[in-house]
Amino acid sequence: MLPHLDAAHNLARWLARSAPDAEDIVQESYLRAFRFFEGYHGGDSRSWLLTVVRNTFLTWRKREERSLANVPLDEERHGIAPAPSAADSEGEAEALRGCIEALPPEFREVLILREFEELPYREIAEIASLPTGTVMSRLSRARQRLEDCVRKKVAAR
Amino acid sequence: MTCSRQWIDAYVDDELDPSARWQIEQHLAGCEACAGLRAQIAARREQVRAAAPYYRAPDRLRHSVHAALRAEAAGPRRWPWLAVAATVLLAAGLVWSVRSNRERDLLAQEIVASHVRSTIGGRLVDVPSSDRHTVRPWFNGKLDFSPEVRDLAAEGFPLAGGRVDYVGGRTVAVLVYRRGNHNIDLFLWPSESGGDSETQRNGFTVLHWTDAGMSAWAISDIARDDLQRFRDAVRARP
Repeated sequence: MLPHLDAAHNLARWLARSAPDAEDIVQESYLRAFRFFEGYHGGDSRSWLLTVVRNTFLTWRKREERSLANVPLDEERHGIAPAPSAADSEGEAEALRGCIEALPPEFREVLILREFEELPYREIAEIASLPTGTVMSRLSRARQRLEDCVRKKVAAR
Repeated sequence: MTCSRQWIDAYVDDELDPSARWQIEQHLAGCEACAGLRAQIAARREQVRAAAPYYRAPDRLRHSVHAALRAEAAGPRRWPWLAVAATVLLAAGLVWSVRSNRERDLLAQEIVASHVRSTIGGRLVDVPSSDRHTVRPWFNGKLDFSPEVRDLAAEGFPLAGGRVDYVGGRTVAVLVYRRGNHNIDLFLWPSESGGDSETQRNGFTVLHWTDAGMSAWAISDIARDDLQRFRDAVRARP
């Protein structure tokens, strides 16, 4: 049994937007958690692990950006922005997925932690090293962007 | 109050204190636009939870993480930060004045390490059993001593099993007891030295005592009084 592996993987997958990268990040996160557990001061172990996953993702992204210095657009590399014709046949889940993935990472992470893990703002604030007020405004803006994006996709059908 | 989207989001998430909540409710009752926004936010939130993919960890990842953790646990550089901590202490010149405390501190740190490692690595027990007649013989041949295994279910601490771990440069017995949803690890090894001590570390309570030639360490995240009761139950002669 590995605690919180699904939550860790879900967060990593949404942040990295790639299945193999997410698995690398999760594996590295558990090793880090294992080695540096003295950073764990009690409290909710899921939040703590998710913090480790998030930090591992940030390190991973920095490394990626350095090695891909000449490919500036994340979106191009991952093929996020779908061709307009694809939107017609998109299902609801696919539209949501595309719109969440298109959010900037700082919006995406608060949305994932809130909607999927249903964490209180206070814990999201700890994980993302943000003031609680910023979590509140970011989450609100993330939802607003998501709403606009999904409506646009639906209208394009 | 003006229509402010983020307050309505926080209201939908039930994140407002009672007075802010009351104000929003007053406002929603009289503002159709905001009431519509509230309904839209709630509906979209439910849709995301229901329809967007939740990426569960694939089995192969579960296996590879397990394998990596096992390899890490078996590796020689198990606790490099212990060396770092020791270096820092030395540099501060503190180490000489508090030598015996430091040794006990390092032991306590190792106890915490073992406890957390067993939780994260998912290896709480090697022999899962609430029967002391199963747990005690299991240690035979794995240790150079035979730990006394007591059933403390009547005192509210049912036995969950045991494992062997490596602490303070030797193999030790770890008996795992339950208290509600929490685990208590009881570390035992033969030793004559050392008095009682109690420390709080990383959110855990660590109790240490010596009894009948055995050094005993109990660690858990349960309330301090509960762990003290556990210690007293262990020490009480049957």
